[in-house]
Amino acid sequence: MKKIVAVTACPTGIAHTYMAAENLSIAAKELGVEIKVETQGSVGIENKLSEEDIKNADAVIIAAATKVDKSRFYGKPILEVPVEQAIKDAKSLIEKALKMEKSADYLERVEEIHRKRSAARTGAYKHLMTGVSYMIPFVVAGGILIAISFAFGINAFKNEGTLPAALMQIGGGSAFALMVPVLSGYIAYSIADRPGLVPGMVGGMLAVSTGAGFLGGIISGFLAGYTVDFIKRSIKLPKTLEGIMPVLVLPVLSCLIVGLLMIYVIGTPIKSIMTALTNWLTGMSKSNAVLLGLILGLMMAFDMGGPVNKAAYTFATGLLASGIYTPMAAVMAAGMTPPLGLALATLIAKDRFTDDEIEAGKAAWVLGISFITEGAIPFAAADPLKVIPSIMVGSAVTGALSMLFGATLRVPHGGIFVLPIPNAVGNLPMYVISIIAGTVVTAFMVLLLKKKAS
Amino acid sequence: MKIGDILSKDRINLNLKSSDKESVIKELISLLAKTGSITDKEEFFEAVWEREKTYSTGIGMGIAIPHGKSKAVKGAAIAFGKSERGIDFDSLDGKPAYLFFLIAVPEESHDLHLKLISTLSRKLMHEEVRKALYEADTEEKVLEALNFD
Repeated sequence: MKKIVAVTACPTGIAHTYMAAENLSIAAKELGVEIKVETQGSVGIENKLSEEDIKNADAVIIAAATKVDKSRFYGKPILEVPVEQAIKDAKSLIEKALKMEKSADYLERVEEIHRKRSAARTGAYKHLMTGVSYMIPFVVAGGILIAISFAFGINAFKNEGTLPAALMQIGGGSAFALMVPVLSGYIAYSIADRPGLVPGMVGGMLAVSTGAGFLGGIISGFLAGYTVDFIKRSIKLPKTLEGIMPVLVLPVLSCLIVGLLMIYVIGTPIKSIMTALTNWLTGMSKSNAVLLGLILGLMMAFDMGGPVNKAAYTFATGLLASGIYTPMAAVMAAGMTPPLGLALATLIAKDRFTDDEIEAGKAAWVLGISFITEGAIPFAAADPLKVIPSIMVGSAVTGALSMLFGATLRVPHGGIFVLPIPNAVGNLPMYVISIIAGTVVTAFMVLLLKKKAS
Repeated sequence: MKIGDILSKDRINLNLKSSDKESVIKELISLLAKTGSITDKEEFFEAVWEREKTYSTGIGMGIAIPHGKSKAVKGAAIAFGKSERGIDFDSLDGKPAYLFFLIAVPEESHDLHLKLISTLSRKLMHEEVRKALYEADTEEKVLEALNFD
């Protein structure tokens, strides 16, 4: 018997949702089709479709006047209609859905996963990621301008009044200098809204000047956000004076508290941690470097853009502020190989993949070279126990090699597109080899682990 | 919970007088106002009318289910009305509507009430229920046709 899953929803969720659901069930019964209808109405989600239901379904009908998340139906033929269509003529909907071709909207799905993940972030992780996302463009702009300055010769910027000096002043002296304050400021902004920005950025400046670096900036951001929150809750001014709260009381008090804490309490211990970290990273033995690259690589591939991946990424990006560029190189390379390796695997081992996946493999190349690790997720979701270990091994190889060769990267994003920029990457040939090696290893692992597709 | 909890006899009008969409909704609203389910007729009408603007709740088969969520509603309630000659309700099938369910839901509603309304909505998709409603000539028979516990 043919199986269909359906979702019904309408704006108020009071009546149409349920009428459409009932009508689909009646029509399915008449047609001898098995159906399960999830209703997203006023009572919440009822009769929720399980992964099993979706997996066994021949087609999906979405009868909704509101936005329904389609990511879970990836690879299934999806018929999307307004909810009243299912009330009017459910029978022909079912017939039409069963005749539909499979959809192969791989890129759409990656996009959707990306959006869903951002929306699902909560608490401290969300605040940190807000800060990081605001910081990245500063680092990209700064990193690339510095790289261009170096193109004139590694010490060219030392000659005052020259273009390389100007580029260094823009990229290094300004864009890079803003990186930690912006990180800190927008962590606080995420926590406490606009009033958080001031103590956050001031705290970030102090993190830089006290030598506490990006770690200090993360701390000052959270400190500033929660301080503002606390002041807002504990100081209640009479109505007539409320106007001075955001322009006088909050900024002054919060900067004072955060600033003093940064200078007298937090700055020094974090500075010693940062110094120890930078000393260790710069003086690291080859074997430790390889080990670090290996770990960063594993982290990048483990959840493909999730929190573990972001932890490694934030760590490497933050280190750019301290002038340490090798982890960034390892992290970006290792974040590129999962989609690249899978794309290669779909070419050389077609029998391990469904037609949809082979099709998706073509787009995965593009996501891979663009450093969008999420491109591996649709493959991983279909066969997590085989795919995730494969891409982790590949990324670990890439990360380790990149560190071994001492490849550096001054830009925290951009994938293959930053490679041609002179001096953006240090030891470019070996860096490219690291990426290729991980790509090949990933594909080979997939070949080894994954069974033939039925 | 029974249908009687939200659709009582005094919210049933088996002989609607209105001849157009707007006035039939108002006629049904007056039933809800009479029984104290809504506090502000105008405000609730606005909510229902807004809803109709997105697309008509005339679902075809001679049935219309105008509904609205509003803070003018005190407790979830349904009014039922029947029109002998039929009223043009911009229905999906282009035909006039004869049976009207006006559903009122407060901003904060009790899940049980919403559930009841969803069950009612589902009921209407069944032909035998519609037939019984068409044939019902007393308030009791309407409730009987809808009884689903």
